[in-house]
Amino acid sequence: MKLQFTLATGAAALCLALTGTNATANGHAASCGLNTGEAATGAPIKVGGINGNAPPGDFSGGTDAAAAYFACVNANGGINGRPIDYLVENDQWNPELAGQVATKLVKDEGVVALVGNGSVVSMAVNAGLYKDEDVMVMASGCAISECYESSNIVSTNQGPLPSGIGALTYAVEELGTTNAACIGFNIPNNGGWACDWMEDFMSSQGLSGTSILMDPTAVDLNSVYLQAIAEGADTILLMLPAGPAIGLLKVAEEQGGRDLFTWVSPTPLYEPGVAEVLGDYWNDNLYIHIELAPFDSDGADNQNWVKVMDAYGQPDDRRDTFSQSGYISAKFFVEALLELDAESIDRATVSAAIRGITDAESDLLCAPYYVGDADRHMPNHAGRMVSYTGGAFEVVRDCFDIESSYLDPIRAQEAALGIGQ
Amino acid sequence: MVYGLFLVSGLAVGSLYALGGIGLVILRNSTGVLNFAYGAIAAFSAMFAWQIADWGLPGVVSWIAAVATGIALSVAYGRLIAPSLAWREPAVKAIATLGYMLILLGLIGFIWDDALRKIELPSDKAAISVLGVRVTLTRIIAFTVSIAAVIIMVQYLRRSHTGLNMRALADNRDHAALLGIPIVKTETLAWGISGALAGFTGLIFGSLVRLEPTVITFMVIPATAAAICGRLTSLPLTLAGGLFIGVAESMLTLYKPAAPLRTMAPFVIAALVILWMQRGQKLTFAKEA
Repeated sequence: MKLQFTLATGAAALCLALTGTNATANGHAASCGLNTGEAATGAPIKVGGINGNAPPGDFSGGTDAAAAYFACVNANGGINGRPIDYLVENDQWNPELAGQVATKLVKDEGVVALVGNGSVVSMAVNAGLYKDEDVMVMASGCAISECYESSNIVSTNQGPLPSGIGALTYAVEELGTTNAACIGFNIPNNGGWACDWMEDFMSSQGLSGTSILMDPTAVDLNSVYLQAIAEGADTILLMLPAGPAIGLLKVAEEQGGRDLFTWVSPTPLYEPGVAEVLGDYWNDNLYIHIELAPFDSDGADNQNWVKVMDAYGQPDDRRDTFSQSGYISAKFFVEALLELDAESIDRATVSAAIRGITDAESDLLCAPYYVGDADRHMPNHAGRMVSYTGGAFEVVRDCFDIESSYLDPIRAQEAALGIGQ
Repeated sequence: MVYGLFLVSGLAVGSLYALGGIGLVILRNSTGVLNFAYGAIAAFSAMFAWQIADWGLPGVVSWIAAVATGIALSVAYGRLIAPSLAWREPAVKAIATLGYMLILLGLIGFIWDDALRKIELPSDKAAISVLGVRVTLTRIIAFTVSIAAVIIMVQYLRRSHTGLNMRALADNRDHAALLGIPIVKTETLAWGISGALAGFTGLIFGSLVRLEPTVITFMVIPATAAAICGRLTSLPLTLAGGLFIGVAESMLTLYKPAAPLRTMAPFVIAALVILWMQRGQKLTFAKEA
């Protein structure tokens, strides 16, 4: 019954998914860590990861990819001979459980860091714990302000704020947007946060922006759509997860609203399988800002991500932006640890090594990744635009950065670190 | 003109709330159970219908499967779990269905991963324009079925023998048993009718709103509010309550400060109705009929 219910069905689905996104690997074996081809046998290094995988969503792509990469590293010499013991917990979107599993990993297990985290609940609940225990979190799936405004959390994904403003930047510059409606969840550190900064961006451009915030379980999407009409917007920015965004697009399709607005979205709508759900109606009328490289990119890291997932991932692992993000977080983490003396690895040295990451490059990212010692982190704020065309996605603008006063402290950090993006 | 847009939009959503409320009231009337698992049954039915369609079977098979799944899940609870709670207080019966809801929600998460899905019905493509809003045939079907369900059920309860049995059970389960009314058979029928409505509602909901099990499951909240408007007994008032909640929720969109809070509308309306019903009475927790 489940898509991956039988091995055969799972394999078929995997093939379809890969064909659909053209994410097939070229070349030989996956490249990981020291690439010795020999399994690491030393004392394990405990690393944690927390995802949220329960209704209303599965954010496990980041930890799945990190697990696959670490397995590959362990099979290739580990961290100078020491394997990574990757302990993953699921907070099930439950704040109490999120606190419990973080305490278990950080205090009981004594992990040296957390990598690949994809859980908005855990970030909000545990940011203080991570700071108090001085454990660094190299996250992969964040969507709330705490992910980007905490000293000990650094996420590879952009989240809705830069990605949404990126989408609007394109809309303003290429599609003639003058009045945008940001439709987001009525959650202060998510939709409210991102849509407020969208309004700030529009106002900085001398244009109009308005926020339409809805409850996550709102049934009446028709009224949300009608509200956008009543606001006189010419563009709708879908600052929503893929599910409700698709629901809103369906309502718009029902109302013949494709040509009434310019439709743009941050990354969540860039997901394998979205074409099957959207159909042909939205061809050439939906523009999405993507935070990382396209799934079918020929870049070395993107290709290696596919190889790692093929060789070390599970058949039902998600292969989405969070997965790419988890892979690259894990890769940068391993590169930082390989600089350390294997015997000196503990939380203090690992936290220092992570903070010491600067100018880490990957074709998955538009600009170098860095961490630094700061009270907030947002290393990834440049992305690409794709257009939904012929049931697939086509890059319509390559890497570009966003302009927002939200990034002022981030730009100051980059200047201090000598990073020019 | 703009009010007309929101009125039509609200009626469309309100008919979904009403459908859910009607299913709850029918069951509550004959078994005394307020079924909080109604939304989860609807969600499971919608997901199963999607699965049938995904396997390549004809659409009509998937629609039938949705209703059949609703009946099966509802009757399963009605026959296997509900009888052992038959003599417990109404609150206990209702809370037990919350457990069933969690089981079904867990099963859905176990069986189907979190991927983008949609249910497409042929009626999604046909539409008419009402006060400037394009109303699809699917929405018209939802609205029509909610009214038809009320008329048919009212007539059924008044005129048929089994309907009389249901009313007798609703009045007094002990006396009905003493009179020789086949309680299990009558209750099973009520669970089946309610389940069929849940399956149908899930299918329509999955098409009109979105195929997300959690969202469909918690549709039971506004549906319960609609049922409360009908004092958990009156089908016509439940229909009116559902439609009113839908319209109120939609109209609040026009007042920007209230727009983000409009999902509170079902709770506020239900609370006001409860206060109205309790006027001049001493508040009691629950009493067995």
